[in-house]
Amino acid sequence: MTDEAGNLSIDFLAGFTIFMVTLIYVATLIPGLFIGLQSRSIDYDAVAYRTGVVLVEDPGMPYNPSWETLPNYSKGDILRFGLSLSKDTPNILSPEKISRFFCSTDFVYPDDYRSRAVFGDYPYQFNISFQRADENVTQSVGDVLPEDYGYSRRVVRVKEHSNATLDFSNINSGGPLAEYTQDKYQTNNATGQVFSVYFNYTYLLENGPAGNSPAYQINPLAPSGAGEIIGGEGALINLTGLNKLPQNASIVNLSSIAIYRSVSLAPLSTGQSAFNGPVMNTTDTSPFELYIDDNATPVKSLPYGVNNSVSLYIPPGVLSFVGQGDSSTLLNITMQFSTTDANGNPQPDRYLNSSLVLPDGAFDYNYANPNITQPSLHDGVVEVAVW
Amino acid sequence: MVTDDGQLYTIEGVAAGMIMLFTAYLVLGATSVYTPGDSHISDMQLEQTGTDALRMMNTPVNGTSESQLTEIVDTLPLVNGAIAPATNAFDPTNNFNILFLNYVNNKTGSDYVLNISEADNLHYTAEVTYYDRKNTTTEGLLISSNRNLTGSEHPVRVTQWVITNQPVPGDTTMTQPRAVLVEVLLWRD
Repeated sequence: MTDEAGNLSIDFLAGFTIFMVTLIYVATLIPGLFIGLQSRSIDYDAVAYRTGVVLVEDPGMPYNPSWETLPNYSKGDILRFGLSLSKDTPNILSPEKISRFFCSTDFVYPDDYRSRAVFGDYPYQFNISFQRADENVTQSVGDVLPEDYGYSRRVVRVKEHSNATLDFSNINSGGPLAEYTQDKYQTNNATGQVFSVYFNYTYLLENGPAGNSPAYQINPLAPSGAGEIIGGEGALINLTGLNKLPQNASIVNLSSIAIYRSVSLAPLSTGQSAFNGPVMNTTDTSPFELYIDDNATPVKSLPYGVNNSVSLYIPPGVLSFVGQGDSSTLLNITMQFSTTDANGNPQPDRYLNSSLVLPDGAFDYNYANPNITQPSLHDGVVEVAVW
Repeated sequence: MVTDDGQLYTIEGVAAGMIMLFTAYLVLGATSVYTPGDSHISDMQLEQTGTDALRMMNTPVNGTSESQLTEIVDTLPLVNGAIAPATNAFDPTNNFNILFLNYVNNKTGSDYVLNISEADNLHYTAEVTYYDRKNTTTEGLLISSNRNLTGSEHPVRVTQWVITNQPVPGDTTMTQPRAVLVEVLLWRD
């Protein structure tokens, strides 16, 4: 007789197999439930990496007008911080964006930064710092670092904008700057003493070096804020050695700074009226920063006596504002000087006069002028710590 | 009549089989969990720093100059088939060493001068790789190194394409710009 003890039926075997397969499947899912808790350091390093990438390789959102140009009352429109000049120039940072990002009066740690740079639902704490290689000043935002934290370090470069310096101290021996005085084109004294700087926006925006890369471009417009004096690159114009100019008059005053704008003809020679923008004279306040004779205090109203030097800083945004965001703008910024005798009577002189310089009757602010220091890049480093 | 067909003889056999399968499954599954710690994170950080350093070295300071890396590659005496000591004021090997170490060690909050006590203890060996058209081979030449690889290190590899005007071995008559690959193995003690 057949003994059936110790045998299994095929039904039981099928059921048991299904049960075991299910058990194994569930067992494999269990580790997945704990992935988020598995390693805190992995999480923090990944967040630090992500934050570093967002800051260094992205220009931020919104892009045009750029986020750093938005006034404080509309900072809610800023969706994402990003310090890069453009999406095509990773690791090349904008000085305006850096300055705004670390502005502790505009943004509050941690909330403003957490939602725009660090992201994520977890309430991370963090420290973001930046330092330029040629400055021993670290800019930072965030808490003091704990012992353990996620970390990311990015090597970057920061764009430094162009500036023009005209040193007239050797003007008596001739030289390239003679055309900006009366010497080259006219030997007589003149009643009008002006120094004009000419910006051709179309030329500047289309003829930058290195394939018109944003990293080396003199860009008066972008990133711009329409209608307000915000955003856009600035410019610095230094006139030094003015006391060496041929001069009969006892007193030289800088009497006004005016802006002329055109979109079709070169502005100075065609005699357009002054553009209704920021003009500095006795009555108008101005967004310019004007320093005379190396005085550390900016001059706020004109006329003002000049002996040796004039530094006119056009802050970021002014060129964009007066150009009305129009890339076909031809702009002329004119400093009007008055030369008088000791009693204040006008005195014809051979002081500065750029109105005869070819082709535009002004100092051309362009990529070829040897008196202009072109935009350059400076080393820096960005560090992100998250915990 | 009841027969033995289609039946297993003992429940112990089935249970043992299942246990063996389950054990094998666990063991095989467990091996993928035990990866070497978080080493990939530090590798990633090192690779990022090295990539950034090479990229910045290959970015010109202004619109009219050459990049530091191009200048270094251009002044390497590749034509001789080996890197000879620099004969002029610009020493490409030493320049690469100083620049690269500066970039990968820079941190915020420091005085930015490469300070040994603050340095990140990074070591590297840098090569330039080019295509030899005459022999149809790819050749590599050492640019610079601050320590030799012994085999026990765990380096990361970072690269940067550089356009050079310099003729390379096997192609000395070619005058057009050439692309060569600068490759750096980077590791931390």
